[in-house]
Amino acid sequence: MRALFLLAAPAVIATHLSSCAAEIRPALHPDAPPASLWVAPADLEDRDVFNGPWGADRAPAPDARYRVLEHKHTGVNPGMTVRDPQGRQWSVKQSGPDTPDEGPVEVVLSRVLSAVGYHQPPVYYLPSFTLEDDWGTHIERGGRFRLKVASLKDRGEWSWQQNPFVGTTPYRGLLAILMMFNSSDLKNSNNTLYEFRSAERREYWYVVRDLGTALGTTGRFAPLKNNVDAFERYPFIRGVQGGYVHFHYQGWHQELVRERIRPSDMAWAGDLLGRLSDRQWRAAFRAGGYAPEVADRFIRVLKNKIAAGQRLGGLQEWSPYDAN
Amino acid sequence: MASNHSIDQRLVRLALAGLLTVTATAAGAQETGAPAFFAEPHVITRGIDAATRTLGDGSDVKNGFYPELSNMPTGAGWISAGPGYRYWFFGDQMLVDGSAAISWRAYKMAQARFELPHLARSRLAIGTHVRWQDLTQVTYFGEGPDSLEANRSEYRFKSTNIAAYATVRPIRWLAIGGRVGWLDSPSILEPAGSFQRGNPSTQDVFASDPVFATAEQPSYGYREASVTIDTRNRRSYPTAGGLYRAAWSGFTDQDQGVFSGHRSEAEAAHFIPLSRSRVVLALHGWLTASDTADGDSIPFYWQPSLGGHNTLRGYSDYRFHDRNFLVVNVEARFALFTHVDAAVFADAGNVAAHVSDLDLDKRSYGVGWRMHSRESTFARFDIAHGAEGWRFLFRLSDPLHLSRLSRRLAPVPFVP
Repeated sequence: MRALFLLAAPAVIATHLSSCAAEIRPALHPDAPPASLWVAPADLEDRDVFNGPWGADRAPAPDARYRVLEHKHTGVNPGMTVRDPQGRQWSVKQSGPDTPDEGPVEVVLSRVLSAVGYHQPPVYYLPSFTLEDDWGTHIERGGRFRLKVASLKDRGEWSWQQNPFVGTTPYRGLLAILMMFNSSDLKNSNNTLYEFRSAERREYWYVVRDLGTALGTTGRFAPLKNNVDAFERYPFIRGVQGGYVHFHYQGWHQELVRERIRPSDMAWAGDLLGRLSDRQWRAAFRAGGYAPEVADRFIRVLKNKIAAGQRLGGLQEWSPYDAN
Repeated sequence: MASNHSIDQRLVRLALAGLLTVTATAAGAQETGAPAFFAEPHVITRGIDAATRTLGDGSDVKNGFYPELSNMPTGAGWISAGPGYRYWFFGDQMLVDGSAAISWRAYKMAQARFELPHLARSRLAIGTHVRWQDLTQVTYFGEGPDSLEANRSEYRFKSTNIAAYATVRPIRWLAIGGRVGWLDSPSILEPAGSFQRGNPSTQDVFASDPVFATAEQPSYGYREASVTIDTRNRRSYPTAGGLYRAAWSGFTDQDQGVFSGHRSEAEAAHFIPLSRSRVVLALHGWLTASDTADGDSIPFYWQPSLGGHNTLRGYSDYRFHDRNFLVVNVEARFALFTHVDAAVFADAGNVAAHVSDLDLDKRSYGVGWRMHSRESTFARFDIAHGAEGWRFLFRLSDPLHLSRLSRRLAPVPFVP
């Protein structure tokens, strides 16, 4: 029994001690190419939010036959790497047998983030697809399809706590947006540093990639996700104290948002998201495969949160009870 | 007054929160679409989700470290744990897996496996497996269907076992398997470990058993061929389909040559979904027959054994030993919630020196509860009654999981 306890204790302690997290400070690799988290979206209102920044040409064909290359050996959700008839490789993340589908959430959040200027890889959602494996061809449960493109090289994960953007408005604004979506999984393992190469430039993109734990409640262990009832119920902001916004956030790494997000950051994020039209919001949810009536409920809550964020701008102290 | 008002407000909020939770509970159950008689409380759904995310679903798909929570034989105690590590190389082509664990009764094991599972477009799998184990308190009551409960004894069994195996799958649900292996001179020792039950040593109670006539147990070479048809929809929590298997095996005493024998097995399990899969009827039958050359005998740790949480649940683990064994299980499972089943079951079987003497005279009945994900059973609690009284069983696996079929090594001692 002592052996069992000794095996389990370090994991439990590490899980519950926020002091185990690294210090939050700006950090830059001296030899790295230029780093980019966000680019001001001058054409935000015209962006194709359904197909996303990588466009319809790169979308997976719903009626194509995909050949499985390898099953997914990491992460919580099942999935696989497949190749389409054009020879393109896709990383497919599927839902677990007992868990809600993260794919729709990931695609919606990716669309919204890319629309307002944050870098995202090419991701799409298919509800099902035709799969060819060693035993023949069958219809497979769908999921999030992420395309492997030559211009994006995965260079590992990046740290929420130590990166070049800590302290900048886009960094805090990104956290504010993720709070609005009840994104619960702010772990470094969900972040990917991409090396982007084009004919004109080479730079490091800091991307929050695994976005599927959102649109539900927040929590460390098994928060509800992709659950519109829970999303509608879950409270958002506790108040503003000492010039910082306090959230009802119960997810991983609460130190990232505790006394770090100012009302002005909420207003900045709210102003960005507020520029998205109703058509663009619906397109984002349509890209994730949501039915219009469910999408409308999510959008209604998100717009309320955006408005709440915009109202906070400039406040130093605020409590929800102040409204009474 | 202000304070009272505040308390009243909190009570109203709590009541509203409770109402919302109940409402959400019903909605949540509708969303899953899984068959069940009642809407599942969110706390169960989230608990299963957390367990699946933390511990995995029991499959061997994920790379990296994993908690080794199974891989212990019957009698190890209600829980075992340890570290495991596996890695898939070259896509899905090569698997390397190793783990170690210690159990409630200080059973210990370490194992390593190397496998090429997808040769010839998944039609051929080959591999090798090595396992060291120290089973501190294996029970033994003597040979034959009339062995006395009062003769309960225990022995410690230490062994190293290695095998090479191959499986051919001409079609997905048909497997033709073969293995050859080596059991290196196992040790039979005094019982040890934690939570000892104070039972006497097998060597003291059965001093005249042929096993104790030699100072050291021999090494064994063994081989097996099997044919398996598996149409179950899930391996660890099947609700439809069946598994039908025939196997022929032999083991050869490499030293004195007196402990050699052959074994033939036939087994069938069938799962019938009823009432839109809210009820599953599970039927299982298993016959094992052993044979030796004249003058040879089968040591008790190679003999089939009956009794315990996977066979006759109203009897102790390893309650009956003999050359031949028959067991039949019937179990009806009712999906109370999406992840919680209630079960009623009946087990019957016996052991005998001759196959023609086998009957179903040993019986047990009971009820149980199962906590499961869609893919596997996490925990079960069974209350069983047999001729030797009541037994309360808590285990982390399904009674008809048939996990022993995925083991690559000869099961010594015989583990039902």
